[in-house]
Amino acid sequence: MDENLQEDWLDARLRDEAVYVDDGGFTANVVRKLPARRMRHSLRAVILLKRTVVASIIAYLLSGGGWFIAEEVTRFALLPLPVIWLCAAGATVLVMVGGLAAVIFKTGARLR
Amino acid sequence: MALTDADLVARVLLDDDHHAFAELVRNHQSSVRGLLRQLVRADVSLADDLAQETFLRAYKNLRSFRGEARFSTWLYRIAYNCFREEARKRKELVGIDEAQLEAQHDPQTTDPALRQDLAHALQLLPLHERTAVLLCCQNGLSHDEAARVLEIPLGTVKTNVLRGREKLKRTLAAWGPN
Repeated sequence: MDENLQEDWLDARLRDEAVYVDDGGFTANVVRKLPARRMRHSLRAVILLKRTVVASIIAYLLSGGGWFIAEEVTRFALLPLPVIWLCAAGATVLVMVGGLAAVIFKTGARLR
Repeated sequence: MALTDADLVARVLLDDDHHAFAELVRNHQSSVRGLLRQLVRADVSLADDLAQETFLRAYKNLRSFRGEARFSTWLYRIAYNCFREEARKRKELVGIDEAQLEAQHDPQTTDPALRQDLAHALQLLPLHERTAVLLCCQNGLSHDEAARVLEIPLGTVKTNVLRGREKLKRTLAAWGPN
């Protein structure tokens, strides 16, 4: 009985010792040291899309209505068929390598 | 309605919401800083530096918090690791800043002499017993949770708590109930 009383007394004293430590600007200090906020994925996509549209409009206007595009397409169409195939294969390989590099980079970043 | 720790953690993970993380810090700063102050036996500013490091690490590694344990248990574990690293660096932590610790206490709650004796009795315990007693008896962790925080077997935690309490009882026998 005395033993139990002693246990309760000790527990109560130990809990009493756990007094509340006033924040006193601690939280603000921690928040100040956090890394800058990450941009949300959806927001990032919208910004990228807007930039692309604006850049395209500027390029279109500066190139005199995009006449050079029609000219280049015509020139490209007149190339021999094997060269066109080669260009298509080259573009495919380029996109695949780019995608693979992006995947490796993202996976590596997540593992770190 | 107050948000739970799980809600706040989800907000930080989804939107990198600094306000939600600030709320988590506000909710747990007292217990983390209190534990570290008891552990370091040194100046209060060192304990607060370690507490700050604890929360910054928690933010950085929040994705690894799976919600299997309480958020506070997970924080205590990080805090204890920060403390261990610091102790390893310093080898020996010296003298508790009694005056500063004294200023943190409400003089109305306990007899100052008893408080001083209890603080002294706690400091006399070996680190492993003191940590186990503080986590289980003062911060309300179960033996199982303390074992996770300290990364030691459950049986060892129970033994450390038991031995620590026995020593405290002996040291504070004069203050005990008649």
